[in-house]
Amino acid sequence: MIPIRLGIVRLVDSAPAVVGDAEGLFAAEGLDVTLHVEPSWANIADKLAWSALDAAIIVAPLALAMSLGLREPKRRLPVPMGISRGGNSIVVGPAVDIDTQTTDATQAAQAFAAWLRGQRTPPRFAVVHVFSTHNLLLRHWLAAAGVDPDRDLEIVVVPPERVVDALDAGRIAGFCAGAPWGERAAELGAGRVLLGTSSIRPDHLEKVLALAPDWRAANRDAAAALCRALASAQAACARADRADAVAALLAQRLDLPVAAARRALPGGAAREHVRFAAAGPVPQDEIAWLLGEMRRWSWIRDHEPPPDPATPVEDTF
Amino acid sequence: MRAAGKIDASHEASAAWRGLTRGRVAFAPAGAFPSIRAARGLQVSAHVVSNRSPVLKILLADDDEHRARALVDTLTREAPVTVVGIAPGEMLPDAVIRHAPDVVLVDMTRPDRDALEGLRVLSRERPHPVVLFVDEDDTSFMEEAIGAGVCSYNVGSIANAEVKPILRAAVALFRQLQATRTALETAEARLRERALLDRAKQLLMRDRRLTEPQAHRWLQKRAMAGGQRMVDVAEALLGQTERKETR
Repeated sequence: MIPIRLGIVRLVDSAPAVVGDAEGLFAAEGLDVTLHVEPSWANIADKLAWSALDAAIIVAPLALAMSLGLREPKRRLPVPMGISRGGNSIVVGPAVDIDTQTTDATQAAQAFAAWLRGQRTPPRFAVVHVFSTHNLLLRHWLAAAGVDPDRDLEIVVVPPERVVDALDAGRIAGFCAGAPWGERAAELGAGRVLLGTSSIRPDHLEKVLALAPDWRAANRDAAAALCRALASAQAACARADRADAVAALLAQRLDLPVAAARRALPGGAAREHVRFAAAGPVPQDEIAWLLGEMRRWSWIRDHEPPPDPATPVEDTF
Repeated sequence: MRAAGKIDASHEASAAWRGLTRGRVAFAPAGAFPSIRAARGLQVSAHVVSNRSPVLKILLADDDEHRARALVDTLTREAPVTVVGIAPGEMLPDAVIRHAPDVVLVDMTRPDRDALEGLRVLSRERPHPVVLFVDEDDTSFMEEAIGAGVCSYNVGSIANAEVKPILRAAVALFRQLQATRTALETAEARLRERALLDRAKQLLMRDRRLTEPQAHRWLQKRAMAGGQRMVDVAEALLGQTERKETR
């Protein structure tokens, strides 16, 4: 049995890791996987960089930022597969008195922009990490409605498990976060789901599997086995008839609110679902889109060319 | 630990400016984090660059009171440093702006560490990046720090050489307390298990009229047959009996 330390964060998109462990899918591949539930994305990044984790489920732009050296320590992280698509919600608190019935991203953005114009000071909006899909999708959506995300509102970082409290306490006007936190906010009456991020960019890449570069160099077969096991787990997580069991596991292993997690899984009642079926290998068009957005906000400067999106993903982003 | 107070303050201040213009700020994505630019932030952090006091200011983000107190003792004993903390309910980035420290030491179990990533504290026209302490030439030290569960952020462009002794002291203390705690937890777990086994044996001696060695063997056999630990068998037995007796 090959030992693997797999890092995850308390989110619905960690389901393939939890299911793989609970159903013996890792063991079937000869892997002795230990799940490390980390409290922050920074922990995931640093532990991958400094050999405290062998692999992790990570938010895609953070893996890119590490590979580009936008965040130290710079590491070219091998990213062999996608884990999930979609699944984030834009949630607003009671202060944002606009209609949340529409599922049309453009209409919602226009309503939100109109509300913003009436604010005397830029309201605080939370994302879960600076290098996150949440930040990029929120900015993309706002900019399309003529909002300057750097001037018209104040984007702050609040950990996913604390966004609901922050909204409830009025410290933020809204947030963009992964499941189950949007549904949780709605369930507790702290806020309303304004939009799912799939209506901003359909089927957008969300979490990916990243490997510690040194570990991967010494464990190519184990890395491939890990991908196979996670792919089987993804297939299980994609089934609506398994969603009750998956939600129960997420509640048990990651202490997630079970009803909110269930609604965000396939067949659930949430507006936005985490999708696992279509994840597969990392889609190059999605990477190109993320890099383009990062360049748009000058995170990537002109004299630092991003890696060629056509570089084989087998090796790195 | 090197005495921070011996460093010529004016020299350090100009080094800070050079560091910024050399492009440290490149690591903080421009425009990515417009936040936390309240007026008070502007005032306080201006102080950091232009009139930096010879005494290093450390913001310690650790909710473990015992450990935090011990760390304050260690850090202030060896060098003239000021250690400040986070107010109850205060968000970590807000504390960084309020105190304008040179160094932020963070317990890695805190979920709000992410809020420091890409954070910039604005001062006059210049943004101050908040950058994770990284020493690529000393892998073993970095691994040790992560193993101990503590990390450090440089605010502005304070030199790593000045920060490393501080982080080293924190790592030593985190490790020491971790070891003490592990030893204590192991001892407590052993005591708990012993008590469980004793209660299970007494139960077997009462209900099945076994002797103590027979009760021991009974538990042992069950454990071996079921591939369990004896304490798990004991716990299950006690659970069953309790349920029966409360009916």
